[in-house]
Amino acid sequence: MKRLGPLAVAVVVVLALAVYPMVGSGYGTRSVLQVFMWIALAGSWNLISGLTGYVSFGHVAFFGAGAYTAGILIAGSGWSWPLAALAGGLAAGLLALGIGVPCLRLKGPYFAIAMLGLNEVLRALVSYFEGLTGGGNGLSLPTLDATVPVYYAMGLTAVGVTVAARLIISSRFGLRLMTIREDEVAAEAMGIPTFRHKLLAFLLSAIGPGIAGALTARDQGYIEPLSVFPLATTITMIVMTLFGGKGTVWGPVLGAAVLFVAQELVWARYPYVHPLLFGAIIVAVVLAMPRGVLGLLQTKYRLPRTI
Amino acid sequence: MNVVITPAMVGQVIISGLLSGVLYSMVALGLALIFGVMRIINVAHGPLLMLGAYTTFFLHQQLGINPYLSVPISMLVLFGVGVLLERTLVFRVIDAPELSSLLLTFGISIALVNAAQLAFTSDLRSVEYLTGSWVVGAFAFSKPRVIAFVFAAGLTAAAFLFLQYTRLGKAIRATSQSREVAMVCGIDVGAIHRLTFGLASALAAAGGALIAVIVAIQPEMGQIWTFKSFLVIVLGGAGNYPGALLGGMLLGLVEQLASLFLTTQLSEVVAYVLLVLVLLVRPTGLLGGRQT
Amino acid sequence: MDVHKHFGGVHAVNGVSFALERGRIHGLIGPNGSGKTTLFNCITGLERLDAGHVMLEGERIEGLKPWQIARRGVGRTFQVIRVFPELTALENLLVVTTGPHETARAQALELLSFVKLEGLADEYAGNLSYGQQKLVEFVRMLMRDPLLILLDEPAAGVNRTLLNDLLDAVRRLRDAGKTVLLVEHDMKVVMGLCETVFVLDHGEKIAEGPPGAIQSDERVVEAYFGR
Repeated sequence: MKRLGPLAVAVVVVLALAVYPMVGSGYGTRSVLQVFMWIALAGSWNLISGLTGYVSFGHVAFFGAGAYTAGILIAGSGWSWPLAALAGGLAAGLLALGIGVPCLRLKGPYFAIAMLGLNEVLRALVSYFEGLTGGGNGLSLPTLDATVPVYYAMGLTAVGVTVAARLIISSRFGLRLMTIREDEVAAEAMGIPTFRHKLLAFLLSAIGPGIAGALTARDQGYIEPLSVFPLATTITMIVMTLFGGKGTVWGPVLGAAVLFVAQELVWARYPYVHPLLFGAIIVAVVLAMPRGVLGLLQTKYRLPRTI
Repeated sequence: MNVVITPAMVGQVIISGLLSGVLYSMVALGLALIFGVMRIINVAHGPLLMLGAYTTFFLHQQLGINPYLSVPISMLVLFGVGVLLERTLVFRVIDAPELSSLLLTFGISIALVNAAQLAFTSDLRSVEYLTGSWVVGAFAFSKPRVIAFVFAAGLTAAAFLFLQYTRLGKAIRATSQSREVAMVCGIDVGAIHRLTFGLASALAAAGGALIAVIVAIQPEMGQIWTFKSFLVIVLGGAGNYPGALLGGMLLGLVEQLASLFLTTQLSEVVAYVLLVLVLLVRPTGLLGGRQT
Repeated sequence: MDVHKHFGGVHAVNGVSFALERGRIHGLIGPNGSGKTTLFNCITGLERLDAGHVMLEGERIEGLKPWQIARRGVGRTFQVIRVFPELTALENLLVVTTGPHETARAQALELLSFVKLEGLADEYAGNLSYGQQKLVEFVRMLMRDPLLILLDEPAAGVNRTLLNDLLDAVRRLRDAGKTVLLVEHDMKVVMGLCETVFVLDHGEKIAEGPPGAIQSDERVVEAYFGR
């Protein structure tokens, strides 16, 4: 029974979410789709930053890279959107390798600020190569009502990222990533090739946002530099992960669900206040609850790593 | 691409590069000070610069204060803000893993930017005080940039003299060499941290005030300054104060040089490529950094 | 085993050269700041040599990355304990090896019981006492079954009982054919445990020999107590 309980809950939740688009309202479906997206984004950020402690301040760059890759392939080359979504994930992964090789050799702050710049750079590049991207005018995709299929694809991405996190965190690979966060020098001296580990984690953390960006591009039908590279998206995924519990499997999921609902219910009424509150939440969590909700429960009640 | 480069163009690039480079040096010196003394990369450095710019803007718009006279006022205001931030929040993460200090200052930076958006709106604002250029021979010297250069050079020199010759300056340098030794020597390390954070914020504020006369300002202007300041201290070698000077000049020159070939839109890309190249070739910076 | 090491330049360690013998316990002593830890960092690749080389089993290992050196068979502990605090004691050991999970787990549990910590396997390392953390660090290093064991002040801050257990463990490792090099300030430990002692002063080797001979060496006495 003990093992069946959580599994039964998972099956019920998955089934409920699977039938929801058929019974729920359009607004409801879109909202759940958004939650899926945030789970994929926060969960991916957690893979690099929550586990290794290398803070990525520009993770939305992968989201944007995926969105533009898919946008160009769909609008320019007539690819089908599921294929373009995979290509978006691949492009984001390649970008992560290109950035990771120089920047992950160094200690945390270098990486963090290099990522802060990456987003600005991609935005500038996208605006510059107008022929390909439409520049500041944006890029329109052929009209297609794909909300429901995109809902499932995004759900699959969220599940994929969470399952990947579960597998990584319960493996020795995941523990090694944590040793980088705990004491990188000691990890090296114990025979752990930290650079390779960081690079692999970074690569994995880029794929989910790449796919999510591609799916969002398809769903919205129109992308422009300002809409797919907002710093606010990076901020949101960081807040969600920190709140739920960095380095845990379900922390990003919890953070995404709770903060999305809070955002919709409460903060939607005060549009400019919520990013301000996000900043305040980051400060408060770092100072008062550095492990987040689940991390706190985990250490207090000695829960296994797999929560 | 056909680009004909004349000696006059190169001269103009050097002039413009140095004019903006010193501004970079001054702002980055603030970031370098905090990093050197407290081992923290202050992600909120750029947003503090933005607050300095707004202070000057409002002093000019509301009270009609000459923007150049308001530079010291902005510095003083932001010195206070910096000390307050250190005293209430930042001091709590000085010994914590760098993850904490990066995230904390990131959180502060977001809060500052969005508070500014709420208070000042996202509209572009500009301090219209001085425009145009002085033309000397074949070269044009943008007036607000020349004055910004003079201020920045003066303030940077003053900061170095302060660090070099005053008791407090020496205490700051001692603390950045070794906090333990400084403590044993009877230096109030907590007070030095507050002072450093205040000074760094004041340097950022001076940058913001001077920039406000040159280009239009808005709440999100800061992030890129955090990035560029960081780039400058990486170029010069993190923790190496004279290195920040060199790094700033270099960034200014490279950006201007690149503008000969590329549109100014891509100046951030150039800065970024420079960062990646430096990290690949010489991770400790050009003058060598201090290893921790 | 033949570790051979020169250093050039005026640095913390200057032209030190010595050989370690397989299956022996070697002590490295010297006043504070004489370059002992720097030497350890050079052997393990955490600091780069300016000149000279380090040989392990006839192969040069200087210039390799720290993790490569560790995988060649050099294990170490640190002067200031460096366990991974937010990992459990068991996990601290598990991360070090690569083989199949079950084998690694069995090996880790065996090593933890070797130092009587099996009951604390699932405790976060950061919650353990100082002595217990020291033991975790000690057995963590053994997970890779190193040829050469470098111990940086194993006796510091450890109570008598624990210390005796630790020294026993070191002797057993020696008997199993491991080569040990330890830095230690506690002369009783050095004299009672080591078979060969090297003395460093100002980054230079000033003496080498069995403990008895070292104790009466004039240069050593001078280095420690001044003229």
